[in-house]
Order: sequence, then structure tokens, then C-alpha cells
Amino acid sequence: MSYILNTQQADQVLGALAQTYGVYAPKRFANQGRYSATDCIRYDKVTRASEIVWQVKSDYPAKEVINPIQQAIFYFTEDEYRASKCKEQPILIFARPCDINAQKIQAKIYAGNGGFTDMYYERMRERVKFVLMDCNGGDDTCFCVSMGANTVEESDYAAAVRFSENGMEVQVVDPELEPYFAGCPESAFTPAFVTENELKVTIPDLEDKEVRLALKKHPMWQEYNARCVSCGACTVACSTCTCFTTRDVIYGDNPEVGERRRVTASCQIAGFDQMAGQREFRATAGDRMRYKVLHKFHDYKARFGDRHMCVGCGRCTHRCPELISLSATINKVNAAVEEIKAGMGKV
Amino acid sequence: MNRDINVKKMRLNCFRQSKVPGIFMLQMRVPGGTVAAKYLTYVEHIADTWGDGTFHFGTRQTFDIPGIPYDSIPAVNAYLEQYIREVDQELCGADLDTVAHEPHPWDPKSGYPTIGARNITGCIGNYHCICGNINTFELARKIEPIIFPSHYHIKINISGCPNDCNKAHMCDFGIIGCAKLDYHPERCIGCARCVNQCEHAATRVLSLNEGTGKVEKDPCCCVGCAECARVCPTSAWTRREQPFYKVILGGRTGRQTPRAGKMFLNWASEDVVLGVLKNWQKFSAWVMDYKPEYLHGGHLIDRAGYKKFKEIILEGVELNPECLVAEDIFWHETEYRSNFNVKPMSMHHKAGPQS
Repeated sequence: MSYILNTQQADQVLGALAQTYGVYAPKRFANQGRYSATDCIRYDKVTRASEIVWQVKSDYPAKEVINPIQQAIFYFTEDEYRASKCKEQPILIFARPCDINAQKIQAKIYAGNGGFTDMYYERMRERVKFVLMDCNGGDDTCFCVSMGANTVEESDYAAAVRFSENGMEVQVVDPELEPYFAGCPESAFTPAFVTENELKVTIPDLEDKEVRLALKKHPMWQEYNARCVSCGACTVACSTCTCFTTRDVIYGDNPEVGERRRVTASCQIAGFDQMAGQREFRATAGDRMRYKVLHKFHDYKARFGDRHMCVGCGRCTHRCPELISLSATINKVNAAVEEIKAGMGKV
Repeated sequence: MNRDINVKKMRLNCFRQSKVPGIFMLQMRVPGGTVAAKYLTYVEHIADTWGDGTFHFGTRQTFDIPGIPYDSIPAVNAYLEQYIREVDQELCGADLDTVAHEPHPWDPKSGYPTIGARNITGCIGNYHCICGNINTFELARKIEPIIFPSHYHIKINISGCPNDCNKAHMCDFGIIGCAKLDYHPERCIGCARCVNQCEHAATRVLSLNEGTGKVEKDPCCCVGCAECARVCPTSAWTRREQPFYKVILGGRTGRQTPRAGKMFLNWASEDVVLGVLKNWQKFSAWVMDYKPEYLHGGHLIDRAGYKKFKEIILEGVELNPECLVAEDIFWHETEYRSNFNVKPMSMHHKAGPQS
């Protein structure tokens, strides 16, 4: 059933949902942007529809709700330990198609990869229902259509909404959510999907191993030694990146009492791949950029087969303080691949 | 040109004497160094019609137009009316019918009424700059009606952040935009990018606690630049909404005892900065026995002594709880001549009302 709600009704329904669900949505944090007098838009609990930022894409992805930047995974005392508890109620996450598709990629890594399902991921994910936010086209860093991440199936969401200045239209799919809309005016709303982005990205053809090896050595990556500052903002903002590290925190002067935390890590930050003896596989910014790009546009798909590990949400580009554009980087990869193929007589 | 010209009167009118008798340079105020670009056509018109066709960026961010003959000055002043009204009166709210807040009717065709309070300069601030913490020209526009028109001299420079590109340290009353920061440990990934940035670009107050993987701060010595927030990849550092200011006092250049200013206020609110400036006329008047001289603020503080300055300038100002005030200030002057201040008692200046 679909409904049309004015702003007051929308706030009321959200308020009622927030009694049962932890409702997470993009929210504006005034003045908390990177630069002075700019805002930060990131996921947080909301209790009113008017708190939800739908006009622009969030700076940080929806993945933060399921995989927070930091979480305690267990507490230890001498030789005993106990896992942290998940205090969350059932969760509703308002997310655009890119973020919902990104969770399918997150699931590949966390649930079943190597025959193992991560309990911390699973216990959160099974509480989550998505509310699809009708995407109004994003911005000029978006290329979800090129990545096939612009649409989702009805089975992917419990409800779909389209916000406007006057309120919201809702299509309720999950019967559990129906009672919250009882008495609201009905409509014929169904969600629409973006069918074309301003930005189009051609996926590089990296099937040929010889080409890939040549690409690894290609001078194009050296540009990033001078440009990329290896801050990791791109991977923190990435809706599909899953890397984390663990960190033991000792509570006081007794090293046998403390907790183990899971903390987001980034392949772009120096030291990520440091081994015993201080050896690093990727010691330069260019090496790290190459690793990320090839992971997103070749390696993941080579392993899991279904799709590339990028949904084209554009947040990496949007958040890069050095204005490095991922789509421009992909174009450079395409040019390098053509050059390599021509040199090898493989065109 | 043989004209009987009172050059001091011309200077008060913001026309500067040149090497060539009878030729002057106009200095147009640009509070905070930012105005609509359309005013460049005024500059062009004045330079082409009455000046020598050139234009100079004044060192205090005025539009300077040299080569104006004395006889053209009335025409230039008449033309200036619209610029002065739009910029000083409308944009900044300056009361042109006063001098030092005393009634003094302004003839709109007579150009600038005073030169004492100099053009307030500003860097571009957070209107554009990735480092800026405050909107410098909005602050300048709030200060302009407090200090202008007035015959009491004050040079105010506003910098958007403690990098101080606009040299708040080299004027009477320098203002530096600062931020107080909040740390959100739950968003911190322990990358130490803020720690490195603080070490390389600021006061080295951050350190990574290897035990917790979190950042610790020595808040006492934080300069308030917010570089930590600028470089953080996860928004674990954020600026508080309220801007704060450092006031750097008594900096100057000159042929006698140039010196960098010293910190008078730290973490002052905007209200405190404006409140202090409202006492500026009163302080200046007191020092000079209510007779304005061509003498800049730093020299007035020298005459009165910092403690007397502090007493008058803070009168009636309610300090915000975060605000710190210098108990004393010890400037370090470059003495072009050693023992510069040692001279016969008869040459000593006096401060305060002379009976």
C-alpha cells in the first residue's frame, strides 16, 4: 500500500517507528564539516522525518550503521572473555539504492567469505530493514548507473519513500510497517530509479593477466605519489570498503583486563600492510591508489564473480581533500590499458 | 602648480600628498578587503577621469588612485558619494554624521570625513579559504561603524585563522579567528593524521595514545587553528559553532621601534571583541587629553602603560567564560637606536588629562 504524508504526518509516523525501531538516516551536523561554516551529513538516529537530509547525498555512507567506525567486540579478564552485546532494537535504515547495493557487497565479505560468517556483522544485519530513499539523481560525482547499482529489487526494502518539501510519499512493502501508516491518505506511489547519471564510467578491461601486470608498472600511478596524501578519507567514505583492524585497550595498570575493539582501517594509510620487520608491500601513495582501484575494478569481481566492488556512489571523490576524482582515475586506467594493449599488439 | 594647499586637511580627507606639488592620491576604504567587484568600475572611472590612469593596491587594502590634481578633488569627492554611502553607510552601517560618535554633520559631496581609523584589512577568511575559521569581512563590517568616522588612529587587521596571513601581529589591534574543537573518539581510527598536522603546522598539542589508539590533547596550548578538523578523514574532530578570537595588541612597523604585537585576549567572543573596540575612542581620548594626534594605537598604549590601557579598554565589557586576558604584556621592540627610550625628562611624553 502507498501513502502520501504531509510534513506533520511524516514526523508523527517517524516518531511512532522510532518507538520500536532504531531509525537511522542521513542527518545534518551543523558546522561539523571539514571546513569552517560547512556541515557534515552522516547517518545517525532520527525521531522526526524533518531531520532526514534527502536533498543531497550524505558525506558518509550507510555502512556506518551496521559496521560502526569503532565497536567493542569482546571484553576480557585474565583467561575469560565475553562477547559484547548488541543493544540495538530492530533497525530501519533510510538509504539510497547505492547504499543498499553496497550492503550486498559488505555481506560477501562479512557473511560467508572463506566459509565464515562474522557474528558482529550478522547480528546487526539481521536486525536491519531498509527504507529505500528515492534518489533524486545524486550529484556530479555519482555514477551508479555505470556500476549497475542504480536499482534494487522490491525484496531489498521494507518501504520506499520519496521526500519533498511538503512531506513524503511512501510505498510500504513489509506488512510489519503497515500499522504505522494506518489512517494516512493513500496514493499510487512507487519508487523511481535514476536511469542516467551525468557522469559515465567505462569499466576497464582487465581480463588479460599480462595487461594487468603491465598496468601495475605503468607510470600513471606515479601522479598520485605527488597528489594523494594517503589520508584514507576515500575509503572511510566508501560505501563498500570493509577493512578493519583490531585493537586491544587495557583499562588500567592491569594488562589482563580490557576489551578488544574493531576499528575501521584504510589501505590508503601508510602502515596498513606493514609486516614484521617493517616491510610494506605498498610503500607509496601511487602503489596504494593502484591497489585500491584494481581491488574495486578487478580483484573483487575475480574472486566473487558477481559484480565490481564499487557502486558508483562517488563519495570517495566527494570527500577527497586533494580533489582526486575516482572517475578521472578510471579514465586514466582505460587510456593506460589501451596503450598497453597496443604495445602488446592485443588490440 | 602654485596653490596654497593645506596638505594636512587633504590627508584627513583621504587624499595623500605626492612628490609633485598639487598632485594627490585618493585612498578608498574597503572594509575587510572585500566588496562587490562592480566597484572596480568606480576605481577605473576615477583613475581614467581624474587620476593618471593607474591604480595601486593600498597596503591597507584601500583602492589607491594616484595622479589626481588638487583642482579635481571636489569632482572626485562628489563622485565618491555613492561609493561611500553604499559601502560604509549601507553595507557597514557607519554613521557618517558623527565623528568618534559625536554629532558632526557630513557633507555628502565632501568625500571621506576622517582618515584616523584606518581601513580594516582582512584575509579572505572562511568565505573562501580552506583554513579560515571566521568570515573576516563580515566582522570588519561590524567593526567599521564602531571605529569610523574618527580622528583617533587605529589599524585593525583581521586574519581568519592563526596562520595570520593578514598580519594581525603587525598592527595596533589584530584579530585572529579561532575555533574550539570537539573530539569524537568513537569516530577516530587512530591514524594520527591530526597529530602529525598539529606537529608540522601548529603547536604540537596532540599525541597518539598507543594504548587506546586515540588522540590526546594538551588543551592549554592549542592555538585554535582547527587543522585537526581539516585533515581528519573521519570527522572525529569538529569545530564548535561559536567562533572565538585572539586579539593581538600593539604591533607596528615604523622608523623607531617596530615590534610584533603580543596576545591581549585569547578565546574572546565576538561580543567581547566588539565591546573592547567600543572603548577604543575613550582610551585614545584619555591618553591624548581629548586632542587627537597623528599617533597610532600602540604608541598610546606605550604612553598610558598596558595596565591603564587594560583598565579603560575592558570597562563595562562582560568577558565570556572562556576568555583569557593578558595580565601584563612585554613587547620586544627592534631598537634601531639602542637605549632609544633613554632621554632627557623634558622629552618624555605624558598620558592622560593634562591640567
